[in-house]
Amino acid sequence: MYSARGQSRSTGLFLTLCAAMLLLAMLSQQPWAAGPRGMAKSALAPVEEVMTSASRQFDRLVSVFGDVSRLRAENQRLRAADEELRRQLVELNASAKENASLRKALDFERASGHRMLAAQIIGLGPDGFSRTLEIDRGTADGVRPGMVVATGAGLLGRVRESGPHAAIVQTLADPQSRVNVYLSTSGLQGTVSGGPTVLDLEIQHTLGVTPSTGEWAITSGVGGSFPRGLLVGEVATVTRRDASTTDLAGIAWVNDPTSISFLLVITDFTPS
Amino acid sequence: MRRAAGVLVMVAAALVQVTWAPRLEVAGAYPNLVLIAVVSITWTLGVRSALAWACVGGVLCDLTSSGPVGPHALALLVGVYVIGLWIRNLERVTALRVAASAVVATCLYSAVLVLADDLLGLPVAPLGVAFRLTLAAAAYNGVLAPFAFEVARALHGAMRTAPQPI
Repeated sequence: MYSARGQSRSTGLFLTLCAAMLLLAMLSQQPWAAGPRGMAKSALAPVEEVMTSASRQFDRLVSVFGDVSRLRAENQRLRAADEELRRQLVELNASAKENASLRKALDFERASGHRMLAAQIIGLGPDGFSRTLEIDRGTADGVRPGMVVATGAGLLGRVRESGPHAAIVQTLADPQSRVNVYLSTSGLQGTVSGGPTVLDLEIQHTLGVTPSTGEWAITSGVGGSFPRGLLVGEVATVTRRDASTTDLAGIAWVNDPTSISFLLVITDFTPS
Repeated sequence: MRRAAGVLVMVAAALVQVTWAPRLEVAGAYPNLVLIAVVSITWTLGVRSALAWACVGGVLCDLTSSGPVGPHALALLVGVYVIGLWIRNLERVTALRVAASAVVATCLYSAVLVLADDLLGLPVAPLGVAFRLTLAAAAYNGVLAPFAFEVARALHGAMRTAPQPI
């Protein structure tokens, strides 16, 4: 189908492009390239914001249809109910939920004593290996790499990169993420690492104390990467490992990055 | 005209990938629309065009992720080149072959992405997790690729029959 010459031209093109991309990767990784790279990344942010907003509208529409079908199954008399009123009702419910979530975030900000900046999520990571989020705040708003990110429910992750008007947040679900925690009842300490479906917690053995399900995992502040006292999740499973120096637990994370729409960047905590 | 349409398709694929596709997550994996588009282009327009579009799509992915610009493009290039070697002697395109090529491309893409991150000194996902995610993503992309190929073939046909400006 292809001639040998055509094949060799393809190989030449492939090698040239590979070399170009490697060079681009190495150059764009240099500290002096951080500014232009951040600006280039921010260029796509407005379109991502519009698309994420459209996606939320779509979710809202789907939830309207979902509620309508459930109501129909529950009570046939509701078939005659006005479609528009029900749509408005669901939308109002959605607004109320968002309102409650915002109030929770506000309470969290007051209770935590940290200075925070609210940001909207405009995109998610392009591949399954790095669980990241893109937010609509950047260096122009005071967001810097290393800053800790939370929601009203608890810890979400940390800022990894920031451009002028957008930043990329590495969530706790990212396989490279690590956070030191202690358990609320037993006081045991351990390290939470990210995973695609569940957060793993490695708990150091302490004589006479055992971890149990239902305990809360809270940031310990050890290592200075995260402030002490942020909620991470609830211990869902515990696996005893007598042959090892640590036990393993599964943590039900308090946050679900695919369902949250805004978050809080803690601006006054500097990781050591 | 064709190039503009191609750029539009790639930008749309990259943006949909980072905004809507993660909502379709199954077993920790979600479809890689840019990779699927590039595989479809390889089958429709050939390896040389696909290599160029792999660069465009890859750079767009890099611009929406953390880290340097280039690793996603490099990973896509390798996938395209290898499936190009395989398909160049094939007489007939079947849905199964397109699906298989998407699976192979996904595995190569993931392997190169992990390797490139390691070479560039970036944090790398644990191998077990990476392997599990790669398998799930390969299956996902393999299922979607034949449909994307049909769309790409239809678009290509429409472009060829459209009157060219004088």
